[in-house]
Amino acid sequence: MAGTTTPNGRRTRGMGSTARATSESWIVRCVLIGITFLFLGLFLFMPLAVVFATALQKGVSAYVASFTEHDAIAAIRLTLLTAGIAVPLNLVFGVAAAWAIAKFEFVGKSLLITFIDLPFSVSPVVSGLIYVLMFGLQGLLGPWLAKHHIKVIFAVPGIVLATIFVTFPFVARELIPLFQAQGSEEEEAALTLGASGWQTFFRITLPNVKWGLLYGVILCNARAMGEFGAVSVVSGHIRGLTNTMPLHVEILYNEYEFVAAFAVASLLALLALLTLVLKSVVEWRSKRQAQENEMDWSAAIA
Amino acid sequence: MSIQALGITKKFGKFIALADVTLDIPRGELVALLGPSGSGKTTLLRIIAGLEFADTGTVRFDGRDITERMASERQVGFVFQHYALFRHMTVFENIAFGLRVRPRNVRPAEATIRGKVHELLKLIQLDNLAQRYPSQLSGGQRQRVALARALAVEPSVLLLDEPFGSLDAKVRQELRRWLRQLHDEIHITSVFVTHDQEEALEVADRVVVMSTGRIEQEGTPDEVYNQPATPFVYNFLGNVNLFHGRIDNGKTYIHERETGHVVYVRPHSLEIDRVPNGGNHFRARIKHINAAGPLVKVEAITDWGAVVHVEMPQERFRSLQLLKDDAVFVIPKDVKVFQAVSQTTKERKEAC
Repeated sequence: MAGTTTPNGRRTRGMGSTARATSESWIVRCVLIGITFLFLGLFLFMPLAVVFATALQKGVSAYVASFTEHDAIAAIRLTLLTAGIAVPLNLVFGVAAAWAIAKFEFVGKSLLITFIDLPFSVSPVVSGLIYVLMFGLQGLLGPWLAKHHIKVIFAVPGIVLATIFVTFPFVARELIPLFQAQGSEEEEAALTLGASGWQTFFRITLPNVKWGLLYGVILCNARAMGEFGAVSVVSGHIRGLTNTMPLHVEILYNEYEFVAAFAVASLLALLALLTLVLKSVVEWRSKRQAQENEMDWSAAIA
Repeated sequence: MSIQALGITKKFGKFIALADVTLDIPRGELVALLGPSGSGKTTLLRIIAGLEFADTGTVRFDGRDITERMASERQVGFVFQHYALFRHMTVFENIAFGLRVRPRNVRPAEATIRGKVHELLKLIQLDNLAQRYPSQLSGGQRQRVALARALAVEPSVLLLDEPFGSLDAKVRQELRRWLRQLHDEIHITSVFVTHDQEEALEVADRVVVMSTGRIEQEGTPDEVYNQPATPFVYNFLGNVNLFHGRIDNGKTYIHERETGHVVYVRPHSLEIDRVPNGGNHFRARIKHINAAGPLVKVEAITDWGAVVHVEMPQERFRSLQLLKDDAVFVIPKDVKVFQAVSQTTKERKEAC
């Protein structure tokens, strides 16, 4: 696309003209590129290949068998359930928090921003322990829960809670800068044109942050399915009941079931690859949106 | 529809944006709110629109109290300085938006909406760009779309916040004439905010000059320009020379030192001559001449070291054959005197 003209008439500089002041000699470039590839190869591509190689070591049937087995299916199901609850909740929470932070002024706003980041800065093990300390038998609410026969820790609710905690910054963090950058003029325009609050939100606000939101959701989902530390603390590792996929992989591995362990691990790896692809697509589209705002969504929301 | 704002006060934290402002806009008029930034003009407009709410005071449309009404219920057309077009919608959908969001029972049929939008597109002369996105339009085109979008809902008043503020000079000229024409055709009560005095004087039926949250003067362009009520208005509407002065027996004297009065003279009310013509005059030396434009702008230095700006027609300039460093006589033709009361320093601050 060297020297093409966009519909706006802007000239874009093509790949051919690289004569910039900062460009280095070809030796330096080769060395840098070489190091990058060597490093990535050693630490990323090779391990990834090992995962699939080990998983398929004993043939495809053994590979397939390892995740059609009862405990594996239970683990997959629990992981999907957990993500299925945590992601929508964090979607709603993230939009609400980002909205509040970007559009209103209130006391404690900077505190709220700091707290949204807490799950990122604290070790996942601590995140899990927080819930044990709150809902465990010896915990703050433990006796009360026990009296009412509600089981949180070493049960599915605990796993879901820990996952929500660990993943809640993704959507909010993605949206806050977007909302802030866009200001509220378009919403004000919609209001003066007679639109209600909900109409304004669904027809103006959401479409404007659509790609950013999707990006946040993808990252949130990837983390929700892959979370190990926090979930490990609250799960109790009961096979077929409170094991998520990452926990199941660990158990299998500890029992020297390498093929089964890597087979389930390969599913997680595939999820990661899929996430990367989706992420790139969304990134590309949101960049395009920022540049040209050309997408036609009016049909989708009309 | 007529607009009344009664005793409007608005504070943002400690900053007083509007201090007990009362304004009456008769039906069908095109009114300019003119003032420097921070004068409260935009805040007043947003309060009329319902995008901001006053701390005290009431807003009335045609005598009806609408102070508590939401923006979406006020039926105002609002045009923003930065257009605020919906970037993910085509020009067509932008204009149709106000009709599409109406409750089902009062929403026009699709065909009616299409007809209405095309009619407006013709009005703004962008009929062929209906399927474009806002990012594909020029600034002037965007602002016309914004105007059409506001008009689509048939508002009872049209409010424009610095509508030409982010356009370049040529387009600005064009668009403000077009707005004047449009208003002459549809006679909708309109209020527009501007900090450009030329724009206000050219377009509006009536100009409301504001500073520091107060109305300084309101009147026709002729009134505010030729009979400024306060030093601020004099200063803000057009260039001005300031002199210290005093009044004795009804006569005005210009002084070098601080006195009780300040004398205001517009550059075109000063005349330059090579000989004293017997009447009032003072001596000056030409420092700079700018002959580009319909009026020649001359900068001169007085005996006591003050700078005066004089404007004269090209013919006069040519007949005088002025050159830099020439010694000349300056003759004030029309002056306006205000009490000093340290007002000058106050104003300078306000004007910044």
